[in-house]
Amino acid sequence: MLTMNNISKVFQTDEVQTHALRDFHLKVNEGDFISVTGPSGSGKTTFLNIAGLLENFTSGTFMLDDIDISKLNDRGRSKTRNEKIGFIFQSFNLIPDLNLYDNVDVPLRYQGLSSKERKKRIVHHLEMVGLGSRMKHLPSQLSGGQQQRVAIARALATNPRFLLADEPTGNLDTQMAKSVMALLEEINQQGTTIIMVTHDDDLANRATRKIQIKDGRVSELDVVSDRANSKIKATEEAIA
Amino acid sequence: MQELGLIFRALLRNKVGALLISLQIALTLTIMVNAIFMMQQRSEQMLRPSGLDEANIFYLSNTVFAQDYNQQVYLEDDLALLRQTDGVVDAIQINAIPMSGGGWSMGLQTEAGEDKDSTGVAVYMVDDHAINAMGLELLAGENFSQTDIEWRASSQNNWPAKTIISKAMAESLFPDDWQSALGKTAYINQAEPMQITGIVKALQAPWNGWSGVERSMLVPYKMETTGGRFMIRTEAGRRDELMPIIEKALSESNKGRIIRRVTTMDDTRERSYRGHNAVNKILTSVIAVLTLITGFGIVGLAMFSINRRTKQIGTRRALGATKGQIMSFFMIENLMISSFGVLLGVAGAIGLNIWLVSTFSMAPITPGLILTGVIVLFVVGQIAVLYPAMKAAKISPAIATRTA
Repeated sequence: MLTMNNISKVFQTDEVQTHALRDFHLKVNEGDFISVTGPSGSGKTTFLNIAGLLENFTSGTFMLDDIDISKLNDRGRSKTRNEKIGFIFQSFNLIPDLNLYDNVDVPLRYQGLSSKERKKRIVHHLEMVGLGSRMKHLPSQLSGGQQQRVAIARALATNPRFLLADEPTGNLDTQMAKSVMALLEEINQQGTTIIMVTHDDDLANRATRKIQIKDGRVSELDVVSDRANSKIKATEEAIA
Repeated sequence: MQELGLIFRALLRNKVGALLISLQIALTLTIMVNAIFMMQQRSEQMLRPSGLDEANIFYLSNTVFAQDYNQQVYLEDDLALLRQTDGVVDAIQINAIPMSGGGWSMGLQTEAGEDKDSTGVAVYMVDDHAINAMGLELLAGENFSQTDIEWRASSQNNWPAKTIISKAMAESLFPDDWQSALGKTAYINQAEPMQITGIVKALQAPWNGWSGVERSMLVPYKMETTGGRFMIRTEAGRRDELMPIIEKALSESNKGRIIRRVTTMDDTRERSYRGHNAVNKILTSVIAVLTLITGFGIVGLAMFSINRRTKQIGTRRALGATKGQIMSFFMIENLMISSFGVLLGVAGAIGLNIWLVSTFSMAPITPGLILTGVIVLFVVGQIAVLYPAMKAAKISPAIATRTA
């Protein structure tokens, strides 16, 4: 569903050229839960921005559901982001002046859905993240974990092809981080592909695939998580 | 338009800035509409025709100082000289000049008696050349004949038997049918009868601020005075050429008087309405400054709002908003703020006008003018927010992933 080949990103100033990504290759399959790790300045955010169509790449090919991303104009990229990608940000990025219902409504309005359809999706996803009774609350009236749940509901409401999560537990305490991670795992088990950037090795190990970015290059690491093992085992049984 | 409800609800949670701009818009509209209305009224006053062939008329004053000056003889000589000058259409002696600010007024009434109402009227003492020399249009009746003209000594109080009045005066005296004024008797000084023998289309009084400025009468008098005026009408385009020639000819023809204050009717009109012009310029400046301040206020609020919401805009872009949708977000937000301000402003404009009407007897404001003010402020608002909105649309969606 997502293939990056020889992607590179060069930031150019008058005097310096900085290679944020070099010959980056990645293939993401349907249902993957990929964790992306790497030290600060390794290119994780650049990768996330490119994968989320938030930023252009310098060279290479990027195909998303058979769409050549390099051929899209700004409008096409916006439309693709809206329809195919759900974002979960480290600092939640909820709109403080809008209540939870309206926050989840924002990307749905860009899809031009009917108000009935929007309402159905908003209620369903807010209930799914356990905040069905707090739809009229403002983000400031919620805890960090609850705000991230709203962000997850917002990301899922558009029925995206995959979720891009940028340090989704980075601003949460351990307990809340666990609960958000459990929610992401649950979502993945229901079939949604997730790419998650994280600094936390424990969380990264819970993904089904783990990639590391170092100096702008990607390498895939062995996966040790129970979920991954059980997934591999299930696949082997199916083959047998 | 997709985010109409979201914008409105977000605005309700950030009322102060929007409310201040709304109030500014309301104040601007209130002042703008009433100021434009006052300017319109002044402009209409300035455009009123005096009834005279202004472009080709000038006048001068004739101040006599010689002790042995025979006014009757010399007046006839002067008029003959003026009327015989090449390029002069006609000339008269006259006691007052329209729009000049100084003149005579009397009361005319249709019935004699102290207890009867009279209508104020400006009095012009002229001879039978007046209609031609002033360029008036006689609508009904006839001009004075030579035999109608009487000499009037400076202390004389009685009035001649005939008068020619302006149409506006005829309408005041005979509101049902102004034409019926012709041949009727009007009374001056409450009881002295004067027969209305002619009606001219227009002839303004000397005072432009007077509510009865259109009401005037011609009285067939030649004045024995030491301080008279001559009004001279020239052939088209020859006024400026003839002014010094005539001044010199009159000065040289009789050394017992001084010829001075040679003035065109154009200058008189300009001087007469100088105050109006000044007020209009001040009001125009006030409107321009207020509109600019409002525009800058909108730009300021929008820029502040965009700087405050940079990450939010990036997030909206990340969630799928196109540049056009970001632009329309701010344009619609401004439209909502402007609409509220305009609503308040319409109420304010009408309220202020009601007060002006009751206090200064001004005419009520027209709905068209209010509509124009509303449209102008909507356009100003949208133009003012255009640059900030374009700036907002350029914010990269990648801002959304920045943690700061």
